[in-house]
Amino acid sequence: MDLTTLAAGLAMGLGGIGPGIGLGIGFSKAMEAIGRNPEASGTIFVPYILGLALTEAIGIYALVVSLIILFAS
Amino acid sequence: MVHVEIKAEELFAIGPLIVTNSMVGVLLASLVLLLAAWWFRRRSGIVPSRGQSLVELPIEFLAGVVRGTGGRRWRQFAPLIFAIFLIVLTANWLSLLPGVGTIGLWEGEGEHRILVPFVRAGAADLNFTLGLALISFVAFIMFGLRANGVRGYLKELLIAEPAYMTPLLTPIHLISELSRVISLSMRLFGNVFAGEVLLATMLALTTASIITIVPLAWWVPGAFFGLELLFGLVQALVFALLSMTYITLAIAEHRQHGSGDDHSGETPEQGTAPAHGSA
Repeated sequence: MDLTTLAAGLAMGLGGIGPGIGLGIGFSKAMEAIGRNPEASGTIFVPYILGLALTEAIGIYALVVSLIILFAS
Repeated sequence: MVHVEIKAEELFAIGPLIVTNSMVGVLLASLVLLLAAWWFRRRSGIVPSRGQSLVELPIEFLAGVVRGTGGRRWRQFAPLIFAIFLIVLTANWLSLLPGVGTIGLWEGEGEHRILVPFVRAGAADLNFTLGLALISFVAFIMFGLRANGVRGYLKELLIAEPAYMTPLLTPIHLISELSRVISLSMRLFGNVFAGEVLLATMLALTTASIITIVPLAWWVPGAFFGLELLFGLVQALVFALLSMTYITLAIAEHRQHGSGDDHSGETPEQGTAPAHGSA
C-alpha cells in the first residue's frame, strides 16, 4: 500500500469538505438575497464573487498540497 | 499517468538568468497587451467606434466596481487594479491556445523522456503569482502609509479596536495581513496549475479511452476548455478585486463614530415621492 498516494487522496478528499459546505451555504444565501430583492443582484454580485474566491481558495490549498505530495516527493 | 511538473521547466539560460517556459508565457501576454495598447491608442477617438466600445466594456465594468467599492480616492489605485486584471486575464487565456503545453522538446532518454513545452501558462509558475502578490502587498502598504501617515498606519495595525483586546487581536491581525501574500499567490497558482493538469488528464483520457465515440472524444476536453476560460476570467477578477479590497481597507479612515455614510443620504421624503408621482 503506497502511503504517498493515500496521503494525496486524503489531503484532497478531506480538504474538499469544508469549502464545499461553505460555498453551498454562501451561494444559497446569495440566491435568497436575490430572491427577496431582484434589483440588488448587481450589488450582490461583486461581494459574492469575492466571498466565493476566498472560500474556494481553501480547497485550492488542499489541491496544491495533494499535488505536491504526488509529484514532488 | 500524465507527467506534470510543478516547477516550470527551464528552457535556456542567459548568463545567470534562467528562462523558463512560464516566463515565455508571461512575456507573450505582456507583448499582446502592449500591442493592444499601442493599437487602440492609435485608433481611439472621443467618439468610440464599435470595436473600441467593445474593448471599453470590461474596463467600464471594472471601473464601475472599483468606483463603487473604492471610496473617494479610487482613481489613485484604479490603474494598478486594471493592470493586474489585464495581465492575469491575458496570461490565463493565452494558456488555452493550441500549442501551449503541447509543442516542445523531448528531453531525457529511454523511459524517462519527458516533453518540455516551449510555452506554459504564465500563472502556472509560482514565481509569477508570488511576484504579483508581492506587488499587491507593497501597494496596499504604501497606500496605507501615504493615506494615514506612518504613525496612523502603525496605530491602525498594532492597536486593536477595543484597546484592551490588543494582546489577543493584534497577532491575529498581523498574521492575517501577512498571509494575504500567500493566499493571493497560492489561489492563482493552484487554480491555473490545477486547470492545466485537468486539461492534460482529460486529453489523455480521450485518446486512451476505449470509448471511441468520436463526438464524445471532442466534447469532453471541450467542456473543460470552457471551464478553464471561465476560471481564468474569475481568477483574474478575484485577484484584482481582492487587491482593491486590501487597498481600500488600508486607506479607509477608521474609528469614526457613526461612520455609516452609506445610509445617511436617504430621507423618508425621497422614499415616498415616486409613489405619489406614479399614482
